[in-house]
Amino acid sequence: MRRKHVMEMIAGYTFMMPFIVSISVFLLGPLIFAFIISFKNFSFLNPEAATWVGFKNYVQLFRDPVFRRALLNTALYSSIVTPVQLAIALILAVILDQKIKGRTFFRLAYYIPTVTSPVAVAVIFLYLFKADGLVNTILAKFGIQGPVWFNSVRFALPSIMMMAIWSSVGTYMVVFLAGLQDIPAELYEAAEVDGASGIQRFFYITLPVLRPVVFFNLIISLIGTFQVFDQAYVVSRGEGGPLNATMTVVLFIYRQGFREFNMGYASAAAFVLFIIILILTLIQRKIFREETS
Amino acid sequence: MKGKIFSIVLVSILIITLIAGCSSKPQNTGGEAQTQEQKTEEKVTLKVGIWSSSPAEKKIVEDQLAAFKEKHPNIDVQIETIVGDYMQKMQTLIASKTAPDIFYLDSMPAPQLMSAGVLEPLDEYITKYNIDIEDFEPALLEAFKWEGKVYGLPKDFNTLVLFYNKDMFEQAGLSEPLRTWEELRQYATKLTKDKVKGIVLNNELARYQVFVNQNGGTVFKDGKPTLDLPENIEALQFYTDLILRDKAADTPQNLGVGWNGDAFAEGKAAMAIEGGWMIPFLKDKAPDLKYGMAELPAGKQRATMAFTVAYVMNRNSQHKEEAFQLLNFLTSQEGQKYVVESGLALPSRKSMMARFKETYPERAPFVDSASYSVPFQYGLVGQKLVDEANKACEAVIMKQVNSAKEALEKAQKALQQ
Repeated sequence: MRRKHVMEMIAGYTFMMPFIVSISVFLLGPLIFAFIISFKNFSFLNPEAATWVGFKNYVQLFRDPVFRRALLNTALYSSIVTPVQLAIALILAVILDQKIKGRTFFRLAYYIPTVTSPVAVAVIFLYLFKADGLVNTILAKFGIQGPVWFNSVRFALPSIMMMAIWSSVGTYMVVFLAGLQDIPAELYEAAEVDGASGIQRFFYITLPVLRPVVFFNLIISLIGTFQVFDQAYVVSRGEGGPLNATMTVVLFIYRQGFREFNMGYASAAAFVLFIIILILTLIQRKIFREETS
Repeated sequence: MKGKIFSIVLVSILIITLIAGCSSKPQNTGGEAQTQEQKTEEKVTLKVGIWSSSPAEKKIVEDQLAAFKEKHPNIDVQIETIVGDYMQKMQTLIASKTAPDIFYLDSMPAPQLMSAGVLEPLDEYITKYNIDIEDFEPALLEAFKWEGKVYGLPKDFNTLVLFYNKDMFEQAGLSEPLRTWEELRQYATKLTKDKVKGIVLNNELARYQVFVNQNGGTVFKDGKPTLDLPENIEALQFYTDLILRDKAADTPQNLGVGWNGDAFAEGKAAMAIEGGWMIPFLKDKAPDLKYGMAELPAGKQRATMAFTVAYVMNRNSQHKEEAFQLLNFLTSQEGQKYVVESGLALPSRKSMMARFKETYPERAPFVDSASYSVPFQYGLVGQKLVDEANKACEAVIMKQVNSAKEALEKAQKALQQ
């Protein structure tokens, strides 16, 4: 009996081996290494010359106006994109959960942007929103002189927000849709017998039952928006411009690490981002748990 | 409970075997390197790291290498083309000690690499092989010197000249070449029509610095940024005034294009300040466009920017002698023949420039402006200085500050933090 147990365990761990190996080589290892070098004055060009600098990288980060701007931009981006895209995704999911004509077509249509490469999306948006692009041509028909969207201090970040919302709504919609289909029809039937209106049914049945799904989407969306990079990179050609208007935390990390060769400093910034995301996730978890219990 | 302890032990054994498996690898490669060294007398394989901006550029290197292999049958050379962000990839190759024996290096990140000690100083080999180093354009060679030592030999370069649209000049009744800032302003104003701007100007230091230097200013001196000198302020003010006050110029973004070249090719601007890369671009994008090239108009003095790339040697190369022979061949008169023939960039040797002018007489302005060019390089401050200077110009054009003075003072302060 015992022997069989041991054999089973060996077999089990052997099957897990590829995962354990890959995660320790490609995830845990680099993670620990990055944590160590975040306390060093580290450059890949000359790793041997790296010296310990304690918390200097972290202190310097919060004095760095570009990093502070990046944090602000990212927070702003996240606090607008997350609620808006979740709201739109939920509305779309509820609509597409009804028995309407062409349901499959619409589900597909809303999901397509998600499987499109963000770089391709960014390039297309650059065309749509350029000085004499489609958007400004249409605006001009109404007598409005459109801005140069991606090259305007005021409009660059909102333009990226629009792009992100459009391109990622599909993912969250699909998850909501799956959640909606799990809600037992009896609940709605009972509510109907009690004379609940459509809106009441949504707020008193759909939303409460959907709570875990909403939580899941919220976390994923928040993490995703805090890590925004590709759109900002393509739109500003890796500069974060105009005037740092599209500088995000991850873009800042990339530029420090690979353009200015300050890998230690970049790692410190990465850990600050990690801690921010961790704290936000913990707060959300607490709120959702309290409300459920 | 017992099962748990057992599983922990098992997992740690697995991890230890894994780590052991990994750590035995370097020993292996060490062994390989040794056997390779023994083979040195017989056959050597070198790697050349390049980026490839176009098939034509890669062909130059391939042709050069073919010629080199004929002379040195015992040396085999492989090209390692790096796609994507060159310095990003090169940085990891250097860190993992797998960088090619010799590789391209742009003047901009050169100080970081030279000071980090990852490159082999070439002085010893230069003396040993009796290389005529005086033949290289001094400004270019200077970009690859660090603390008195030479770390790279420039392979080619490009300077900024004035591209002008001949048809638009004719229509505006302009025939004389422009020589001064004042003429530039007049010409640009005359050439500006409803949908066409006189000149396209971007917000990059790599372009407006020519005006700074022409005005007797400098943005970087003795290892320190000097963005807020009065001469610099005056130059940036002139540059941005062309856009804001005279309305004779605009940025590529405001013209709805990606860069200066697009604006010029699409006829949205009559003039542009760009380098030799414009020629193949225009041939491709606007084959019917009639354009001319001229040296930049001068301010108090003549000045332009030089963008140069050198071949440098990896300090960890296993075959430094052979690597230098290759490096020397690629930058020698014989190697540069291929550069001249392609016309993609200018040869870095003075002795080859005359030949370039003969082959491409209309491209003489590039060669003529070489002697007063300043390389695009700012010591260890590097990219930071460029970022701040770009933002200063951007801020003036976007009217986020009131004057060039305010913008440059702010940028200088940011750099001194």
